[in-house]
Amino acid sequence: MNVTPDNKILVQGISEEQGSIYAARMKSYGTNIVAGTSAGHGGQLLHGIPVFDLVEQAIVEVGAIDTSIIFVPAYQVLDAALEAIASGIRQIILITGGIPPLDMVKLLRKAEATKTLVLGSGSSGIIVPGKILLGTHESKFYTPGNIGIIGRTGTLAYEVAWELTQASLGQSVAVSIGSDPIVGSSVVQWLQILAADKNTKAIVLVNHIGVPCEETAAKYIVEELDKPVVAYLAGRKSQKKLIGHANAISLRHREMMFASQRDGLASELTPEERQIAAFKQAKIPIADSPSQIPDLVKKALKK
Amino acid sequence: MDLLEYQAKELFREMGIPVLPSQRIDHTRDLKRLQIPYPVVLKSQVRAGGRGRVGGVRFAENTIDAIAAAQAIFNLPILGEYPQVLLAEAKYDVTREFYLAVTLDYNARRPVLLGSSQGGMNVEAVMEQMQQVIVEEEFSPFYARRLAVKMGLKGNLIGSVSCILEKMYQLFVQKDLDGLEINPLGVSATGEVMALDGKITVNDAAFNRHPDLAMLAAEMPESEMTKETPLETYNNTSQSSLNWVNRDGNIGILCNGSDLAIAMADLVTRAGGSPRLCLSVSEEASGDLSAASRGEKLEQELERFVQNKNIKVLLVNIVGSAAVNEEVASSIVNYLQRKVNDIPEVPSQATRRFRPRGSDRRYDQKSLPQFIVRLLGGEIDYSSEHFASMPVNWIDNLEDAIAQAVSLAKSTAKT
Repeated sequence: MNVTPDNKILVQGISEEQGSIYAARMKSYGTNIVAGTSAGHGGQLLHGIPVFDLVEQAIVEVGAIDTSIIFVPAYQVLDAALEAIASGIRQIILITGGIPPLDMVKLLRKAEATKTLVLGSGSSGIIVPGKILLGTHESKFYTPGNIGIIGRTGTLAYEVAWELTQASLGQSVAVSIGSDPIVGSSVVQWLQILAADKNTKAIVLVNHIGVPCEETAAKYIVEELDKPVVAYLAGRKSQKKLIGHANAISLRHREMMFASQRDGLASELTPEERQIAAFKQAKIPIADSPSQIPDLVKKALKK
Repeated sequence: MDLLEYQAKELFREMGIPVLPSQRIDHTRDLKRLQIPYPVVLKSQVRAGGRGRVGGVRFAENTIDAIAAAQAIFNLPILGEYPQVLLAEAKYDVTREFYLAVTLDYNARRPVLLGSSQGGMNVEAVMEQMQQVIVEEEFSPFYARRLAVKMGLKGNLIGSVSCILEKMYQLFVQKDLDGLEINPLGVSATGEVMALDGKITVNDAAFNRHPDLAMLAAEMPESEMTKETPLETYNNTSQSSLNWVNRDGNIGILCNGSDLAIAMADLVTRAGGSPRLCLSVSEEASGDLSAASRGEKLEQELERFVQNKNIKVLLVNIVGSAAVNEEVASSIVNYLQRKVNDIPEVPSQATRRFRPRGSDRRYDQKSLPQFIVRLLGGEIDYSSEHFASMPVNWIDNLEDAIAQAVSLAKSTAKT
């Protein structure tokens, strides 16, 4: 992902309540928001940002756009993202959560075919503290520095950022990959992006148990990444009781069905145990609580 | 959310997936007017698996048999759930049984077709023979044929099984399902195929655009889950979602963000506490609610915790902007003011729906759980009269808030 201060940013759904609030907040943080779209609101000016009915009309007026940040309601997200892709935008951030998975499947097929990077859905976006805000991160929890954070939703990342900030460990970038079951860019993709980022010296990976990407992430960290990583995996103590939730049951079921197809760790382990084992095997320090993270990061940086 | 077998079969029938003649039985007397010729199979309609092994599926040769069997099944809880409905179905003679499913592979971010040439109750045998085909691009029937061949099928079975898979896939896409499963798919001596049992998992996030599925969900009997959390939860997953129910716990957790909710449950457990119900209200940007309806929604969530008499302590952790924290703080204060002053509430249309039956009792302060509230990122003066007079522990530090919640829950449990 290309995140530089001169990037041209579009806000789709700028007249939605959240779209409007965050467009203003991003702009005041210094983000180069060049246009917004909201059908029926074309021709208006919102927080000094010109609003258009269509993405293509915005592009005619302001030129090629690097990134679109989407705030439209869940069932309209697929359409908004396809509109952005059709207009040549190749970086998309989906703030809205609760998008039906099959809509995401459709969108990601299109995104892969057009080499479009999709962050989210249910993402808080990206913040480069002190420089640029693409999304809804609360900037006051962050300070500039050189620790990268990869999380799923914003709020747990804020807890972590706040702990780091209080321990005088500033952050180079924080990204929220999204809270929905199917998201565009993966943890591994963001590990790769942060591996290439000169300002990032260590990475804190904030995730929760039951997300089926941990093993590939652990494998990538141990085999490819030469920056220290500290992990915080929520749900290690409590996830087993999650079984009451219908989705958790189907997740478990799915995990079970795919388990036999996978190589690697012993199959008698539960998916949760397998994920923890993968991290332990890769010798990635795992914090028990957000408050332990700063110490583990300091230790990892000394090595 | 999982549909019951008879509901899944109604959808199969609409889609043209072959199912046996069957009849829904709400009461044993319905068996006197049975339209299906004997012998029949009577099946308990619960969501739990493994009904057959514990006696939830019985055969009957005549009406007397059937009534006795139905009485036994109605009185048989399966994993704590009593059936409210049975399904009576014609008997079918099979020579082979297969397993078929369509679901999503979250790693591949694609739908996947699953099939095993070993169907039925022996899960290990089913798993051992499991084959999969990922639907990379737009679906076309060749994906289904590919799976049938991988399953080792030959001759006419390739066509008949892949035809079922194709219809399953159509249903999966049309109704935005999380998954659907036919197990077993029975094959008769003549090579005819029949969906003998089926399971459909509806996607909560897509519920609102499928009114027919919402109707089916409304028919569902109350389970332990739905008793604690009304079905409306499922209609609004983007705004609020249930993350956790634990029957033995006594601490309620309310926070913003789903992984924050999981982390909170985890930290409380680590500190020796036992969470009962854990809810995540929307992160600010995920919903499209106005500030006023967000406040109303939050008060509904608080009411839900208070209604649950097993919750001794309610731990609220909201991490966000000053504006959000002020909103949350004033919702809590508004809510408590009403409760503490014992002012009969005039519920809005929305709150009325959340109110369980027979709950018009009055409150006193003693019946409320202890409130522990942590609002990170707000600049709220808790010492002001507005906040100080409330029966709330306002705590800034997360670890302190958790320790306090656990210790209060323990001391309250003893008294």
